[in-house]
Amino acid sequence: MKTFRPRDGRVGVGMGAAALLSLAVLAAGCGSSSSSTAEGTSTPSNISTAPPPTPVSCETKGGTLKILSAGDVDHIDPGEAYYSFSYEITRPTQRALLAPKGNSTELEPDLAASMPTVSKDGKTVTVTLKPGVRFSPPVNREVTSADVKYAIERGFATSVANGYAGAYFSVIEGAPKTPPQYPVPISGIETPGPHTIVFHLVRPEAVFVSALSLPLTAPVPEDYAKPFDDQAVSSYGLHQVASGPYMIKNNASGSINGVGYKPGQLIELVRNPNWNASTDRRLACADDVRFQEGYQDPTVMAKTILSGAADANGDTPPPPAELKSILSSSTQSKQLFFTPTGGSRYVALNTSKAPFDNLDVRKAVAYVLDRNAMRLTRGGPVDGAIATHFIDPSFGNQGFDQSGGTSFDPFPSPGFAGDVTKAKELMKAAGYANGMYTGPQVTMVADNTPPGSDTAKVIAADLAKIGIDAKIISVTHSTMYTKYCNVPKNEPNVCPNVGWLPDFHEPQTIIDPTFNGKNILPSNNSNWPLLNDPTLNAAMDRAEKTLDPQTRYEQWGKLDDQVAETAAAVPWLWENFPTLFSSRVVPALMVDNEGAPDVSYMSVK
Amino acid sequence: MSASAEPQAAPRHSLPEGGPAHGPAAFLALLLGVLGSSMSRYIARRVGWGIFLLFVVSALTFLIFYVFPSADPAALRAGRQANPQLIAQIRHALGLDDPLYEQYWIYLKGIFLHFNLGYSYQNNVSVTSQILTRLPVTISLTVGAFVVWIAIGIPLGILSAIRRHSTVDRSTMGLALLAISAPVYWLGLIVLLLFADDIGKVHLLPGAGSYVPITHDPTQWFLSLLMPWFVLAASFAAIYARMVRGNLIEVMGEDYIRTARAKGLSERRVILRHGVRAAITPVVTLAGLDLGILLGGAVLTETVFNIPGIGRYAYDSIVNSDLPAIQGTVLFGAFFIIVMNIVVDVLYAFLDPRVRY
Repeated sequence: MKTFRPRDGRVGVGMGAAALLSLAVLAAGCGSSSSSTAEGTSTPSNISTAPPPTPVSCETKGGTLKILSAGDVDHIDPGEAYYSFSYEITRPTQRALLAPKGNSTELEPDLAASMPTVSKDGKTVTVTLKPGVRFSPPVNREVTSADVKYAIERGFATSVANGYAGAYFSVIEGAPKTPPQYPVPISGIETPGPHTIVFHLVRPEAVFVSALSLPLTAPVPEDYAKPFDDQAVSSYGLHQVASGPYMIKNNASGSINGVGYKPGQLIELVRNPNWNASTDRRLACADDVRFQEGYQDPTVMAKTILSGAADANGDTPPPPAELKSILSSSTQSKQLFFTPTGGSRYVALNTSKAPFDNLDVRKAVAYVLDRNAMRLTRGGPVDGAIATHFIDPSFGNQGFDQSGGTSFDPFPSPGFAGDVTKAKELMKAAGYANGMYTGPQVTMVADNTPPGSDTAKVIAADLAKIGIDAKIISVTHSTMYTKYCNVPKNEPNVCPNVGWLPDFHEPQTIIDPTFNGKNILPSNNSNWPLLNDPTLNAAMDRAEKTLDPQTRYEQWGKLDDQVAETAAAVPWLWENFPTLFSSRVVPALMVDNEGAPDVSYMSVK
Repeated sequence: MSASAEPQAAPRHSLPEGGPAHGPAAFLALLLGVLGSSMSRYIARRVGWGIFLLFVVSALTFLIFYVFPSADPAALRAGRQANPQLIAQIRHALGLDDPLYEQYWIYLKGIFLHFNLGYSYQNNVSVTSQILTRLPVTISLTVGAFVVWIAIGIPLGILSAIRRHSTVDRSTMGLALLAISAPVYWLGLIVLLLFADDIGKVHLLPGAGSYVPITHDPTQWFLSLLMPWFVLAASFAAIYARMVRGNLIEVMGEDYIRTARAKGLSERRVILRHGVRAAITPVVTLAGLDLGILLGGAVLTETVFNIPGIGRYAYDSIVNSDLPAIQGTVLFGAFFIIVMNIVVDVLYAFLDPRVRY
């Protein structure tokens, strides 16, 4: 999964109390205009989650697009990039085998000439590549299947350290079990011709074809990249070549460092002179795209976009006060688009130790949490619908409908404000005579900045209603994950600020890494509740191998409900991401990537 | 820091006629005189201590990162779905599984033998090159702001002191209090919302993210830094004005000032040549230290105005748990503070002969 764009821990300088205040103001404002916010599952009526239509032609050809961001990409190497904002760079510069079709989550061939063919037993996947796709300077030659093979192989090397190669591509025969220091050949990837690549899998894998849309499958020329990859930490990213319509501006030797890439300052895309438009659906209207980084203050960022001095927000949403102002303007509101992230935020309860190893205690927590108040800490209804299970509404009939949609709520309460009476009954059932917890204090590791820190305070106050005294340990967002919640031996009782996004629209990517017991790892663990239910594990393993989509969606929909009923994690937000465009551009966004601006289709009016 | 009541403490300020000779030649003679003297030994001692202090700072930064909760660089680099073997291999490749003392030793060797502050965990870019690229930006910001706050703070302080309790004094000190109370991030935002050419009410000056190097476009460089200079200088100017005012009021009550007046010197000469010179000495110390601190990175100003200097690099490094970059920026900041401390101490010897080493 990609991580949520950094709304946690990257609020603008000095936002603190002001942000809280404006959140409350916005929540009040939006609440009044909402059609069903009393019930909470709906977003306000003045907010549309419909994306702008994908442009089919350029309004004008040429010009410069300017996208603003607070931070930098996680990694500039397309084989390492694993963050929504990073995909804003990889999509226009790199051509993976598959790509989302326009502003939908449906996949279509990109570097591939057609959709992959899968053998009857599901263990052989064949992809034919488009001819005539060429690398940018200084490589300049045509892309071949060997370049795709090498791109995937390098993902397993420690020097490159791709974060998802193991999750989606280790099913290929001969994929390294232990990461090699440098790229090594994988026997299960064959290239019988320059435009044909065949993947031999050790078992059928339902999501393998979808995984071919990840940037790891974008071609990398081995003859050029190998010397960079054979370093302790690959520097190919700083010398990368492009296969898409744009390339990161480089010098004659191919280095982008200090030329088109100034870490934390600028990523500048220019046209790839070798791009063949006839092989691509992208429009590539602008001549130049500048990702201006370092806009730490979201108010300044939003106002700059509204002024027309920049064209879209790349990684940080407009703050609540700005959203409120924009939504109240009939003209500016047309420049704002809310996109479901496809993921959910939830409170993870550590099922491996007391008191949350007890199902009734966990259910009591699920009942007592005031999810509406929790949502207010992030912006209220404008930030998305209150989640009652894990598969997001944007999945539609790909698992969401099958799980019961918005009508499935295992722990209902009026207005999502929590049901203390029901919670106390469950605490009694768990053996606590007065319905109040009497055990030792529980630990909760939370963000040390709003809005995560505020959410944690609301949760702690709710837990106190059933006698649970929670000690909040406040750390940075990345510390919360890498030192505590991702490390089972350090894991606290409660991880209140976790969230999960899909890599692509397959419900498996929402449920399996996060709740299948086989995915519990000693570090970088994403099964935060440490849920390890043999029955659920077996059902998930079966669903992973189900090739028929409808059957698969049924299975994951049912699993979604079953996981929610364990109350190992309490979902509370199906989040939207607001993307603001300037009035001088034709907007286009990546629906599958949190609504990030899609510079391949945007054009200057 | 007023001149002492002891008669021998005042002559250089109060009686220039009878004091040491002035001018470049005299300065050079004085400089040559101190070489090989107790002062050169003092400077050598201070430099030695400075280097030792840098060791301590680097060791502390290193320890703080490991002892206190912070993100795991190997886990961050590996990505969210990485398996434990990959994380272990990355830890090994980055040398993070070596004993702490060994990691520290390698780090020190890199600095002293190759001036290499390491490579960013996030983007594999040399920290040294990043800092050196950003240094001119921070120097532009700091030196410009320094000029502004000295140019505003000292004259206002003098004016307030000589017109004590007047309307000018009261309004100047009132404004100073306001400037001290206004946090840079707040003042920066207000100024941007008022005067930036993109988001401001009055489209006057380039806004956030508009910085360009002086070599590219001197006019744009100057205009883009005008708001940051004034915002950064505001509180410093206020502090300096208050300090100069206080010192000057105290100095003007000294005996040697009365003597100077009794000798028939003009009031202007008494104030500027005798009063201000004595009152301003402590300001040198403060100015040196402030300059040193800011050269290590004006974090808030650079962040609010999106100026790609060392301060913003430090901020980004902390957010990204990028240890080599954090260490590099901390060391650089410490280096400037130590250097400016030494410079101030040496300057003191020239400014105030009462200082003995």
